[in-house]
Amino acid sequence: MNALQYPEIKPKKKFIKRIYIAVMLWVVGRAIQAAAKVDREVKEEFAKLKDNFLLKMWIWPNGPAMYVGKTKDGKVKYLGWKDKGYKPTLTMTIKSVEAAMLLFTFQEGTAISTARNRLVVDGDLPDACALVRILNIVEVYLLPKIIAKLAVKRYPKWSQMNPLRKHFGRILIYVRAFTF
Amino acid sequence: MKRGAIMQLPAYYEFCNSVKTIVGHKALEQIPQSLKAINAQRPMIITDKGVEQAGLIKIVQAAMQKSKLKAAALFDSVPADSDVKVVNEVAKIYRAKKCDSIIAVGGGSVLDTAKGANILVSENAADLMQFVGYGNVKRKLRPFVAIPTTAGTGSEVTSVAVIANHEKNIKMAFGSLFLLPDIAIIDSRMTKTLPPTITAFTGMDALTHAVEAYFCLAKNPLSDTTALAAIQLIAQNLVNVVKKPSDLDGRLALALASNLAGMAFSNSMVGLVHNIGHAIGGVCGVPHGVCMNILLPYGLEYNMHKRSQYIGELLYPLAGEEVYNKTPKKERPLKTVEYIRKLIQDLHDATDGKHPRFLKEVYDRTGKQMIPKEKLPDIARTAMSDPAQFYNPEDLDYNDYIMVLEAAWEGIPLDRKKIKKG
Repeated sequence: MNALQYPEIKPKKKFIKRIYIAVMLWVVGRAIQAAAKVDREVKEEFAKLKDNFLLKMWIWPNGPAMYVGKTKDGKVKYLGWKDKGYKPTLTMTIKSVEAAMLLFTFQEGTAISTARNRLVVDGDLPDACALVRILNIVEVYLLPKIIAKLAVKRYPKWSQMNPLRKHFGRILIYVRAFTF
Repeated sequence: MKRGAIMQLPAYYEFCNSVKTIVGHKALEQIPQSLKAINAQRPMIITDKGVEQAGLIKIVQAAMQKSKLKAAALFDSVPADSDVKVVNEVAKIYRAKKCDSIIAVGGGSVLDTAKGANILVSENAADLMQFVGYGNVKRKLRPFVAIPTTAGTGSEVTSVAVIANHEKNIKMAFGSLFLLPDIAIIDSRMTKTLPPTITAFTGMDALTHAVEAYFCLAKNPLSDTTALAAIQLIAQNLVNVVKKPSDLDGRLALALASNLAGMAFSNSMVGLVHNIGHAIGGVCGVPHGVCMNILLPYGLEYNMHKRSQYIGELLYPLAGEEVYNKTPKKERPLKTVEYIRKLIQDLHDATDGKHPRFLKEVYDRTGKQMIPKEKLPDIARTAMSDPAQFYNPEDLDYNDYIMVLEAAWEGIPLDRKKIKKG
């Protein structure tokens, strides 16, 4: 038998989708860092997390990825997309590029993505709960209401986030996320 | 008519149940053949003192001896709350006695302990910590037979185990398809001796599994079928069995319902009721089934604005065809809640008031109130760290938890106008 007649099938790379997801991960990572400085609730959530908290969010099996962690002085920092030997305390794995596209094009919110088993969390579950709350707030800041409503279970009411906080926070987060 | 108008099919779902289930009044008589089929020659029986003292192990052993098969070891000291130390002890005995398989006879704690021990002996590991989380048990474990003695947890068909580490004060959750037992044997004799109060709240635990599986976010057509069948069996049999514990047909129906509900929630997960129930269990040490029983109507009320169709559909298996047809579609969701509240009241009456209806009615054996009102903020904070919230249709913040807890404590329906809608 000539084994060469049966070549290994390699998956397509899906470059465009990967680039889109990588950009989205970069935006979300930078926005989390900015929101941790701007928003009181996000700040409080991070304060409750352990000092060595480090999040890895990535697409199985080859990325892209993003890392966000707490520094020694307690600040929240986007650490980039490269694995520099980090030891994540919380890993959120999106099972495929297609699953990530559904999530990052807001066709599926985080909750539905989890319910459909497209998203796997490894690490302390209380940290995962806090992170989902942080992501929800960040999405509300980043996205217009019509899109954010698709991404989160419940869009905050006035009593939870007044328009002044929302719009002022949004400007600050965009400025901080996109300036170096 | 659009297809979706009849049944809304999710765009994607997963379902797995690979457990061979044997059900019957004397189903245990099949145990020799079942063990042979999975090549188990030196099984270890794992159980607790209560099961042993109720004489249930004798029934298992008698069934085994008919084929001259003997248990190579018997461990009967599993505590009420599964513990990592006990898991290590079980694994040690398993290895010393050169066992090759496990028969777990008991409730959720026994089955979870046995699952934990099976991880250790199959992986030849010393520490369970490396397997914590979902998907970290990656290969087939030793042959495992589960024989439930309560009709509530459904652990015999679930792919998860929760084991406490009391030294570190944490609960470790394990999830893997390899944790599913090979065989589940449901024999009515195994639940016959359950006292009425335990029968009542374990039955409500199973009902909660099925109801939450049916209306929460991961519902799917496959888990729906098992959930609906479980709800019907419980509605038709629970109060009767509590009133007449020797009703073996009713016992078998409830044990099967627990199995079906376990199959449903193992695939569709659970929501708010389990979310808050876990927190009450953690903060106040209240048995899981008791919390489920009290919180179930509140879980339905809280999510009604988002899941009214599904909650309304539950009226059919709960109340039967006649009530369902007579009730206008708009009123079915509220009627479902009303029916569940009536079921809780009936159980309260059938147990001479021992079955609690509200959180303030939960007492320990010494008569001390287990959930003082001042503990509600602690419970709410703990609930915010419980992952069952992911699968709940509506979001919850601290104030929402407090609102639900205060209503469940007082025993008043939720004021649905106060529920925040996005």
